[in-house]
Amino acid sequence: MTVLEVFDPSGATDILQLHAPRLKSLEGKTIGFVSNDEWQSHRTLPLVADLFERQFKHIKTVPYTEFPIGNVNIDSDDTVERAKTLGVDAVVIGNAA
Amino acid sequence: MGVVKNAVSGLGFDQDAAMVTFPIDLFLAESDIASVKKRGEEFIDGLTHWKAAAGQTGLRNAPMIEIEGEDYEEAFTKANHLFLTNLWGDGFPIVPPSEKRVDRILTGTDLPRDHVLGKFMPRGGIVTVETVAVALTMAGGRPEYLPILLAAVDGILEPDLMHDTWQATSASTYPVIVVSGPIAKEIRLNSGFGLLGPDPQRPAGASLGRAIRLLQQNVGGALPGVGTMAAFGQMRYANAVFAEDEDGIPEGWKTVAEDRHGFVPGTNAVTVFISTGASNILRRGVGKDSVENECLQSLHRVVRYLKQANPHYLRGYETGTPGALLIPRAVAKQLASVGWTQESIKQFLWENSRLTQHDLQSTGLKPWIAQFGVQSIRETADDDPWYISRRPDNILLVTAGGAHPTHNFWMQGNSRVVVGREVRLPGTWRDLLAQADKDLGCGSDVCLI
Repeated sequence: MTVLEVFDPSGATDILQLHAPRLKSLEGKTIGFVSNDEWQSHRTLPLVADLFERQFKHIKTVPYTEFPIGNVNIDSDDTVERAKTLGVDAVVIGNAA
Repeated sequence: MGVVKNAVSGLGFDQDAAMVTFPIDLFLAESDIASVKKRGEEFIDGLTHWKAAAGQTGLRNAPMIEIEGEDYEEAFTKANHLFLTNLWGDGFPIVPPSEKRVDRILTGTDLPRDHVLGKFMPRGGIVTVETVAVALTMAGGRPEYLPILLAAVDGILEPDLMHDTWQATSASTYPVIVVSGPIAKEIRLNSGFGLLGPDPQRPAGASLGRAIRLLQQNVGGALPGVGTMAAFGQMRYANAVFAEDEDGIPEGWKTVAEDRHGFVPGTNAVTVFISTGASNILRRGVGKDSVENECLQSLHRVVRYLKQANPHYLRGYETGTPGALLIPRAVAKQLASVGWTQESIKQFLWENSRLTQHDLQSTGLKPWIAQFGVQSIRETADDDPWYISRRPDNILLVTAGGAHPTHNFWMQGNSRVVVGREVRLPGTWRDLLAQADKDLGCGSDVCLI
């Protein structure tokens, strides 16, 4: 019997932060929509916002036009600051393909 | 899904995210998006109940793997099967990266094995000298290749090159490594006939490029259709790693390392840029015209390859490159003989490849420019004519290729910057080269036995 011991080529990873805790419900919450301006996000994000509003009486949605738009621009502190200013509890980001 | 998982991993999260996924058809113009309505609960669930697998932060080292076989041959075969099933291979046999083999590769550097070069995005795997040596081992490389590989990977990880973007894009991008300096000949890296491979006489480029590709996939997460959306993928089992033909550069012309990065001639260096396509250009005339006319006509023919309504140009418009033109020594010498310089060639290509507003509008390039993420580039959307880069100097000219007068080769860029890195040699360099001579036989230009 031969045993070959080899390296895992994927290397190490470092988890620096955990995903945010989930909300108990969207009722009474403010949900922001952030768009990379790709892949029909200009159509799908408003549709999701509409779904939320139909399901939750006291939800507030903030359209993607209220945030920086586009792949480069949304990956910025400006987006975070804007979310804080608007009192956003959670965001939906789209779209990747 | 892989793209998003990689992206969040690269940001330092667990490699997972709350997602609602759809077939690609939904994301196309004028698509039927009614299916989104039926999936409302999944969006809500992602914000309320979804849970990531990782419950704590911290470093996750990959452990060594044991593979058993009746004999070495069976263990070798099983290792190859395992690497494919774990999505760590590329379809060709790999050399199992055992500790002994990796240690041998590591003799190609004086850096400690745990020295960190950076994170390979979008997945965000940590690239150490050891990780690089593992990839080079798998790719069938040799210790004397390691200095170039380390310099190339360091260049690829340069943040301005935005590897997190081109790793994941659908544009089938791949890194191009142009090597300058005596190291190219010393390690048998091709600068002439068949420089893009394969070449058993000068095999270094194949292993080097393959090692980079394995790092892109295994550490960076660029798995086809999952972590990279590269629609076609380019013939990139081995990317493009080749040397400048420094012996063939006409008098007064410079190497890319000198011209682009200001390296002193003779410096071992790599130039790294990102390409998204390549075209052979038959540039020679039929031999019945004057040299002056043949040169002029051939440059006009090259221009036709550059004069494209090509959104990829935007990435490199300011500080990068629209692409690299490979000019074999015979062509370079012919051009130089009638007074063409590197500067005048670039100027000619730049001026004659400009596009009109009609071109921009009829091809839909104008909206790409107008919406691009860099303001100074957006502001060029109304330029008439519109140039393919900010300056002629953005174009790369490389003297390389077989000593034959018929062809040029255009490597289309998608490269925000062009990175230069000096190659650092280990103290044992001459010993490594002598060993290479023993193993591979004496090369035509180098032999230390």
